[in-house]
Amino acid sequence: MVACLVIPGFELRAALRARPGLALRPAALAPVPGSEPLVGPVTAAAEALGITPGMRLGEALATCPGLVLVEQDPAEAEREWEGVLRRLEDTGIAVQPEGLGCVYFETRGVERLYGGLEAALRRALAAVGSAWDPRAGAAERRFAALAAASVARPGQLLIVSDERTEEFLAPLPLGLVPLEPGRQRELKELGVRRLGELAGLPGGAVAERLGADGRRAWGLARGGSPARVRGRRPPAELVEALEFPEAVGNELTVRRAFTSLLERLLERPERAGRFARKIAVSARLVGGGSWRRTATLRDPTVEPSRLKAALGPKLAELPAPILELRLELVELTEDAGRQLQLVQPEGGELRGRLKDGLRQVRASTGSGSVCTVVEVAPWSRIPEARALFVPRDE
Amino acid sequence: MVTDSGGTRPLRTAGRINAPRPALVEPGFDGTPREVNRQPVAVVREEWRVVDRWWTEEPVDRRYFDLVLETGRVAVVFHDGESGKWYAQNA
Repeated sequence: MVACLVIPGFELRAALRARPGLALRPAALAPVPGSEPLVGPVTAAAEALGITPGMRLGEALATCPGLVLVEQDPAEAEREWEGVLRRLEDTGIAVQPEGLGCVYFETRGVERLYGGLEAALRRALAAVGSAWDPRAGAAERRFAALAAASVARPGQLLIVSDERTEEFLAPLPLGLVPLEPGRQRELKELGVRRLGELAGLPGGAVAERLGADGRRAWGLARGGSPARVRGRRPPAELVEALEFPEAVGNELTVRRAFTSLLERLLERPERAGRFARKIAVSARLVGGGSWRRTATLRDPTVEPSRLKAALGPKLAELPAPILELRLELVELTEDAGRQLQLVQPEGGELRGRLKDGLRQVRASTGSGSVCTVVEVAPWSRIPEARALFVPRDE
Repeated sequence: MVTDSGGTRPLRTAGRINAPRPALVEPGFDGTPREVNRQPVAVVREEWRVVDRWWTEEPVDRRYFDLVLETGRVAVVFHDGESGKWYAQNA
């Protein structure tokens, strides 16, 4: 069977971990600056006061003037989600994440390990941790498993047998199928409010009226097709971070720090000659919250210039001065197809000797004794702001 | 398959270069240094002011002096207008 674990409002829960007191107050995830002003997931207290996710910010504040807006913290959410996935993988489950707060897995392998489907699902819920209020659903089809997990209570598991899938889906709200809000509204105006009502319509008519998306939603409302779950590749987890003595808002300074982190990251012995396929840059912002961007490369590489070209422009999108910059090699490819050099580039031998010498100094004086000077603001009139020492341990 | 490299490494902090060091300066009536660390000043080669970051909570207001001491040593000191203290620094 296919199982689905859902943690509703995961981004809000992750952002609230640093401020647990807010979890019991009316709070909502603030919209991303520059995007449409709609509130994100909300706490139970906010929901009780009539605030719903997706509500206009102005309307939400008018409904509940005491509503606390929690700033988005995508890097923290990503880290917490990775922690959840790793705990599931530690229990032997090959997971296929579907965005933050939703993950699928095939139960066949772990059923025998834990003594049955129910025991395996309970084990998965325990691995996630009760603090996250996870819900589990299992069915022969992915959509039915997602629907079951979506309507389950916190900590509850719902198992839907294949022959009862349509019967189970019929009374569920239409909002469960992935359809544009406009299409959802259109269907509601036509009196179609439940999955069963959508499933009861002729497929051809739905496709004619709503297009391919509508046809897909109609298929899902009837249970969906049995799609396979593919376990993900665990990420490489090679990270380098740099904390600044004071908030940095200058783009050139951030770029220099980025270059320094990139050099350190590529020199890490754990990389073992592998090539970067996916790379991520994240930052802790001065007013709280964080920022994160990823880049997936078509051709895996470790050429600093290409990696810089992939992620460097994204640094211009930083919304505020930063206190910490992190660079991650999220996915590495196997050491294959590497072109050997016929002629050693000029200065290669000298660089090798210098590296050996530095390694020797480090071995005799300890970690942190070898530093690189990184010019961060050479034009500054304040002498101590022109350059920084960055420790090198490779 | 990419293998787990064994976790992230602890965060390392970048350090400052050329941070100001407290200096013992005896100023004259016009605020120009006469002695630095008990060494008499021979010549004031240059003097300049740095006023910056006034829009932050850590404003910078410094009066720098490039000096030659009687021993022949060159020293750069500044008077910090915020704290009223003297510091030496390689400018």
